[in-house]
Amino acid sequence: MFSSEFLLGAIVFLPALWAIPLIWFDGQNKDSMRYWTVLGTSLTFVLTLQLWASFDLAQGGMQHSFSKPWIPGWNVNYALGVDGISLPLVVLTGLVTVLAALASWSIDKHVKGYMMLFLLLETGMMGVFLSLDFFLFYVFWEVMLLPMYFLIGIWGGPRREYAAIKFFLYTLAGGVLMLIAMLMFYFYGGKTFDLQELARIAAGQSSTARFSETMQLTAFIMLFIGFAIKLPSFPFHTWLPDAHVEAPTPISMILAGVLLKMGGYGIIRIAMPLCPYGAQYAAYFMVALGVFSIIYGAFAAMAQTDFKRLVAYSSVSHMGYVLLGLAVWKITDGKTTGGEYWNMGISAAMFQMIAHGISSTGMFFMVGVLYDRVHHRDLNKFGGIAQLMPEYSGLAAVIFFAGLGLPGLCGFIGEIFTVLACWNFSPLLAIIAAAGVILTAGYILWTMQRVYLGPEYKGPHPEAITPFTAREKSVAYTLVVFAVLLGVFPNLLFSRMDNSVTKLVQSMSRTYDTHHGAGATVQTTQVR
Amino acid sequence: MDFDLFSVVQRSIMDPQSTGEVLRTLLTVAWLLPLCGFVAEIYWLRWSHRLSKSAAYSAVACIGIGFLCSASALVYWGVQTNWQALQATEHGEHGEHAEHEHAEHEHAELHQPADAAKAEAAAHAVDKHEHQQAAVGEEHPHEGNHAVAPKFYSGSFYKLAQFGSLIVSLDWYIDSLTLVMFTMVTFIATCIHLFAIGYMKDELTEEYEDHQVHTSHGHFTRPGRFHRFFAYLSLFCFSMLGLVLAGNIFQVFIFWELVGISSYLLIGFYIERKSASTAANKAFIMNRVGDFGFLIGLMILWTWCGTFQFADVGAEPGLFTMIRGDNGNGVMDVSEDGQQVFLHDTHGHRLETDGKPSSIGYLLLIAAGCGIFAGCIGKSAQFPLQTWLPDAMEGPTPVSALVHSATMVAAGVYLAARFYPVFTPEVLLVIAYIGCITLFVAATIALVATDIKRVLAYSTISQLGYMMLAIGVAGWGAGLFHLVTHAFFKSLMFLCSGSVIAGCHHVQEMPQMGGLRRKMPITAYTMLVGVIAISGLALPIVNIGFSGFYSKDAIVASALAYSNANSVHMLLFVTPLVTAGITAFYMFRLWFLTFYGEPRDQHVYDHCHESPLVMTGPLMALSVLAATCAWSWCLTSGSGEEGPLYRLISFSATVPADAAITSVGPAHVTLPSHHDVHDVHGQAGVLALLAAVAGSVFAYLMYGVRIINPADIRRQFPGTYDFLVDKWRFDVLYDAMFVRPVHIVSAWCAGFDKKVLDGILHASASITMVVSRWDRLFDENMVDGLVNMVGNVTRSIGYSLRVVQTGRLRQYVMWIAVGVVVLFGVLFTSMPR
Repeated sequence: MFSSEFLLGAIVFLPALWAIPLIWFDGQNKDSMRYWTVLGTSLTFVLTLQLWASFDLAQGGMQHSFSKPWIPGWNVNYALGVDGISLPLVVLTGLVTVLAALASWSIDKHVKGYMMLFLLLETGMMGVFLSLDFFLFYVFWEVMLLPMYFLIGIWGGPRREYAAIKFFLYTLAGGVLMLIAMLMFYFYGGKTFDLQELARIAAGQSSTARFSETMQLTAFIMLFIGFAIKLPSFPFHTWLPDAHVEAPTPISMILAGVLLKMGGYGIIRIAMPLCPYGAQYAAYFMVALGVFSIIYGAFAAMAQTDFKRLVAYSSVSHMGYVLLGLAVWKITDGKTTGGEYWNMGISAAMFQMIAHGISSTGMFFMVGVLYDRVHHRDLNKFGGIAQLMPEYSGLAAVIFFAGLGLPGLCGFIGEIFTVLACWNFSPLLAIIAAAGVILTAGYILWTMQRVYLGPEYKGPHPEAITPFTAREKSVAYTLVVFAVLLGVFPNLLFSRMDNSVTKLVQSMSRTYDTHHGAGATVQTTQVR
Repeated sequence: MDFDLFSVVQRSIMDPQSTGEVLRTLLTVAWLLPLCGFVAEIYWLRWSHRLSKSAAYSAVACIGIGFLCSASALVYWGVQTNWQALQATEHGEHGEHAEHEHAEHEHAELHQPADAAKAEAAAHAVDKHEHQQAAVGEEHPHEGNHAVAPKFYSGSFYKLAQFGSLIVSLDWYIDSLTLVMFTMVTFIATCIHLFAIGYMKDELTEEYEDHQVHTSHGHFTRPGRFHRFFAYLSLFCFSMLGLVLAGNIFQVFIFWELVGISSYLLIGFYIERKSASTAANKAFIMNRVGDFGFLIGLMILWTWCGTFQFADVGAEPGLFTMIRGDNGNGVMDVSEDGQQVFLHDTHGHRLETDGKPSSIGYLLLIAAGCGIFAGCIGKSAQFPLQTWLPDAMEGPTPVSALVHSATMVAAGVYLAARFYPVFTPEVLLVIAYIGCITLFVAATIALVATDIKRVLAYSTISQLGYMMLAIGVAGWGAGLFHLVTHAFFKSLMFLCSGSVIAGCHHVQEMPQMGGLRRKMPITAYTMLVGVIAISGLALPIVNIGFSGFYSKDAIVASALAYSNANSVHMLLFVTPLVTAGITAFYMFRLWFLTFYGEPRDQHVYDHCHESPLVMTGPLMALSVLAATCAWSWCLTSGSGEEGPLYRLISFSATVPADAAITSVGPAHVTLPSHHDVHDVHGQAGVLALLAAVAGSVFAYLMYGVRIINPADIRRQFPGTYDFLVDKWRFDVLYDAMFVRPVHIVSAWCAGFDKKVLDGILHASASITMVVSRWDRLFDENMVDGLVNMVGNVTRSIGYSLRVVQTGRLRQYVMWIAVGVVVLFGVLFTSMPR
């Protein structure tokens, strides 16, 4: 229907362009600006759906990709493209942004500035997921950072400056590490930022350049720290609870729903293909860190009394599964063994990102609905909400169950499949990870008991608890529908990821087998 | 043996594929209808009002139609297979015969010629995985009078995910066990739904006052939630039937969790009661502890076998074939040193990867089996995870009857039975001991419990222990037999207790009852049927008793045969025998305390009344089945293990037990054969009956005619009594061992974040601040000083150069010219030539 250039370009830049007319909007007419934003994000979402529809399942490589010179002197290109790994994230971003825009009615201060930053943020996020050029990726990464800083720092809660600075510095530190790594690749890889070309070099398929093992390892460590901050993984996660607690509801939704995914996406799109050796070298560490994050996040969540902080820690726990799934790359005698289980791990990690994007967005939204009414988040001062807002509570229960990993809802597939894929890599870590299901059930059910169950509401402003509005319902039902859809038909996603993930796994294991495996392995690879 | 009713014409066996399709369709309808019901009922207020009973009718209709579908599926299957299941006189005779003769042909002939093209296409694109053509177990390729019916039908609904050759899908697996379970579950569920219409009628109000809940404004009132109750019941039925229909172990896990969440919702139905929501949480979390083990089992099997399927899919072997092979004697193919179990393909050959035979470590297989069984421990409330079930009685009584006695908790037993081929004898030994401990512990607690529902709850745990024990001692059929009979009499007794509770206006303590049989005769005597059934009483010599008699008999016989074969494990026989007596005692104690004697609380007695027909009707229906379901339906055959129910179930046995099997693993146990069990059957029956009679008589003396005063006994063993009343102090122990440590660790984690991680961050921030302050001082004094100095110098030079700037053009041109010349000069001298 559209040319690739137009479709991808529009997905990336439509939101930013959409922000420009907001300049001329009447600052007092807040609703018009809100609707304008919802319209813009919805159009972008429709475009992402168009991308989904036109995606060819049979291909493993990049689709709709194109490249145009941007800064020819440095060989920087405006290169966009989509494959099975980025496609679900692009659509998720489109969806979450629409829902966050719908949740933005609670923003009452400087609406114009908010909406403009909000739209700019979407451009940054889409750009990150669609870039095929490292430099472009880096630019979008930083583009996304600034609006987020202001959105937290201006529209946030009481400790917003602290949280915003914390968020900014953490992400910036990661960004700087990424910048150094990027320059390393640029100079070692024959002055190119092209991610696919760099991956080819890393795979040893280039005659002109080669990344040494030390270089791969160094670059991998820097990239990994940068992305682990974003993921966030222990011990780089403490910015997350603060950012979430202070951020307004819609920004929390975006933060949890999309921004955290950039960490996982960065690892799978950049860190792993560009440094296969480094990825393999650090595999055990990554899995162990993922498992530790799962358990640690769950324990920390259990101790929270702030509802939003609890959900934030649940994100730490849930994103641990992503790290776990990505890294279950088992090597025995210099040869990849059980590649299918690693394939499963990566696919499941991808799925977990999407699932978490749905469930966590939903959880933050559900917290926000309550906060908008009673203006507090103290878990010990709730109770009885299910009596007062039955429909809201029912939907919230579904979303929380999705987070708990209940079958039939999206969270289950990601969690269980990553853990199932892990035994092949390390039984011990798999067992520890599996123990997470008990803790998760513990803190989620306990939270639900304290907030929704019980005879009466015990906190301040009981009179403010009003029924669910139609706008809120539309957000909640959309999330519930997606949670159920993905939980019942996970193959909707898996079938789209399959070829891309398989390609990645094959290429990386081939690289490892060829370069670092035993001599016999090299020969068999050549014979093939 | 001749079954006139069914085998009028010796028909040839119909095309198994189409039979499978029909069965699948019928059962799928039965399975999915309650889901539709759930969706409709949860939004019932949208199109109906709170005082309407229509939501209940919708639920009853869904499950009722489900029952009709299941029952017709059972009959259809019977007709298609000429009721061969009922005719087998010697266990496994036909099956074995068929296996030897046709194992080779089985899969080659599985596809009809018309499917050949499809099969070829599938070979090219395995990932399509649309094995819609039903796979059929033990299929006979020829048609004719001697045809042997397939043991099972299986196929796939749709694919959940595929990673290379690893496929996870939703499948179905139908054998006689599935059909019996479906019929049993839907029948009991229908009865309980009907009963609940009466029991839950209090909820049909705008203002339901809950006397157990107090708020700051006094009593708590809320709108009734009649429709929601039935919605949850429907959700449960959907999950439970899905569990039974599941064709792979992963799917079992899915529905396993879904029944868990239905149970959570139903236990916590009175969400305003703290005790209810806590009990719901406890149930779910303790189940998750079991599921943790389940998950480990899944991981092992998934990694080593690469499939979750029970049955074979085309040429891909399922778990059963892989582990058991196809040699027909039920022995695993273990390597010489006993360390490895070889995996098999559909032809009975060893599977190979890279020229080496694939295998799974024997210890690993034990671990996998124990892991899966850990899930069963949680779901079936076995020791050491039994404590959630008594608390689950916080739910409305119909829930206790359906979920927490007849169906869901029996799912653990069902899974243990379904997964039997994967269990090594060592795992079976674990199962037997867990069952043995459970049945004894729970029975002893039931001795002293006074809440009528809790007695039943502990008796449920104990009976589930019997079933587990039976499976563990290779009494596969006996365990499942007891599952079905127990489902009937226990759901009956729970409904009776519900009728009592409703009649007595929510009094549950037996010391406040007594003599109720005069007020509620139907309830009292249907209950008596259940009590006799569970106690295993029968008329001696002619050996006619109610259903529980036969099934308990079968279990005790299996246990005796097992302990004869393995004298070390004598306890596995003695404990159930003694507990049979205890069971009879506490069940009669319950009946006498409630219905017999004089009223102990006149107020309760005066306000007590018999329940309406909508409640007593199901009681009568269930009591008929509780009494007779194990009987033979015609006089020519015996009851119990020669009756149709047992035959139907044991037709599904996947591991033949024609000869005793001795384990090669670390435990060295011998599993008895059918003949061994048969030989000791009479002996075991007499002993079990004696125990039951002793228990009943003792109960009669203590609580019926009151010759012995229970308080005296209590006074004689005060320590024991308190210990039992405290439920063996498991709750206290678990609280100290798990709950509190978890809270402490979580506080540590949160503190670590706040103190250590953020502390480091803040410290580094402070250091940066200090450094930058020094930097500023340095800048302002040193750097700026330097810069200012440079500036001043520049300025003074500027001033002095001002004379040059004259404003005269000619002078400028001259300077430019000079400058150019100098530049050129510099360039020429410095440029490399």
